[in-house]
Amino acid sequence: MIEAKGLSRSFGGREVVHDVDFRVGPGEVVGFLGPNGAGKTTTIRMLLGLLRPDRGSADVSRPVGYLPEQFAGYDGMSVRGYLRFMARMKQPPSNEVDAAMARAGVADLARRPLARLSKGQRQRVGLAQALLGSPPAFVLDEPMQGLDPKQVVDARHVVQSLAHEGGAAVLLSTHVLAEAAAICDRVVVIVKGRVVAEERPGDAADLEARFLRLVGQAELA
Amino acid sequence: MRGLRATRATRATWAVVGKELVVLWTSPLPYVVGALLHIVLGTLYVNQLQARGQALAQPLFPLAGFLLIALVPILTMRTLADEARTGSLDLLHAVPVPTRALVVGKWLASWVTTLVVLAPATLFAVLLAWWGNPDRGPIIAGFAGLALLSAAVAGVGLLASSLTSSQPVAAMVGFFVALLLWFAHVGSETTSAGPLLAGFSISERLRSFAGGAIDSSDVGFFVLLTAAALVAAATVVQGRRLR
Ligand SMILES: Nc1ncnc2c1ncn2[C@@H]1O[C@H](COP(=O)(O)OP(=O)(O)OP(=O)(O)O)[C@@H](O)[C@H]1O
Ligand SMILES: [Mg+2]
Repeated sequence: MIEAKGLSRSFGGREVVHDVDFRVGPGEVVGFLGPNGAGKTTTIRMLLGLLRPDRGSADVSRPVGYLPEQFAGYDGMSVRGYLRFMARMKQPPSNEVDAAMARAGVADLARRPLARLSKGQRQRVGLAQALLGSPPAFVLDEPMQGLDPKQVVDARHVVQSLAHEGGAAVLLSTHVLAEAAAICDRVVVIVKGRVVAEERPGDAADLEARFLRLVGQAELA
Repeated sequence: MRGLRATRATRATWAVVGKELVVLWTSPLPYVVGALLHIVLGTLYVNQLQARGQALAQPLFPLAGFLLIALVPILTMRTLADEARTGSLDLLHAVPVPTRALVVGKWLASWVTTLVVLAPATLFAVLLAWWGNPDRGPIIAGFAGLALLSAAVAGVGLLASSLTSSQPVAAMVGFFVALLLWFAHVGSETTSAGPLLAGFSISERLRSFAGGAIDSSDVGFFVLLTAAALVAAATVVQGRRLR
């Protein structure tokens, strides 16, 4: 389960997240949508205990699989070496390195140093790292960025199976509305730090129209 | 439960040591630092021997000690600063990995790396023994002093690295603090706090090792300095974790 309870946070007197409330239940994929600077990453960092909320609290099942907006590993390490290290750091330690690599589509990169990977390859290593230990909750900040079309399709299947087969709670932020429409059971739309809608995604064209209307309204307000 | 927590922290510490060693030795740093250390040390030491006209081990230790306070902060500058900059530290905090395991693991890897980088300097002692018949005690004590000094400076460097996300800033701060400690005894005769300050001088402590005595108060000083730096670094990491 992933729950935000009245989360608020200011930076230098400017409130960038205001009273954000939502809940992701087990077996559910929830999309976190919003324009650039809306406060998605800030909310996610508060959910994970990486940023102190000014008000409100977060409740996230542990362990949690986290893919940050800008994934960084350690340049000199090989893909497998990095994942083995992360597996040993997890609580409890995971012994599913090979399974995670296969699932994230990086099995053939196992011996390559992280420094030599392409952006999309690196992003998949980030996803593999989040999968380690099969946690009950996942928080993925723009997980599909930089992936090629085939990898996007594969990653969508992975994300859906985490929730629908594995029973995990999955929160993912994205800018690709077609993606949200394809895999999310629900979407939470945030604009200027406030949740302005929480609903079923519907089909992609419909979601796009509603999203633009919501953003337009919120920016006028 | 306590036991369980302890084994988890220990296991995480060793995992961090292994990872840090891989990251360090796949970077050019230890090789460059090692080359600089031995080129400069060799030149200055041979110079000293020629100037004195006799084969002595003693001048080796202050020279190596001074080079270490400049070079160890370069080995440690990356440890915490770069993980904070790239965000890989966030991934570890999200697990969460015990701060103690991170700090101790990184320090241990830096110390071991320093010892490996320093190791070829023992060749000077071997050559010396080959030429003449030097007293073994002071040589062994001198190297023990250098090892302890490295531990302390690695701690100071790690602390500097915890304070910033810029590697050059970390290296400079670490070097500056180590430099202050090196010269803490200077002018100690002129102030009333002098004797106290002189107690903090890592060069004076090293001198006493190189004189052939492994004094428990000198060992204790380096151990305490190291521990204090690590506790401070852990406090900083813990404090910066949630902002
Ligand atoms: N550490 C910080 N200090 C100051 N301002 C910050 C900080 N982090 C975020 N902000 C500001 O908070 C606002 C929300 O940022 P956030 O990264 O949460 O947006 P986002 O919704 O994730 O955007 P994007 O879609 O571009 O990733 C932005 O205006 C940003 O400038
Ligand atoms: Mg973001």
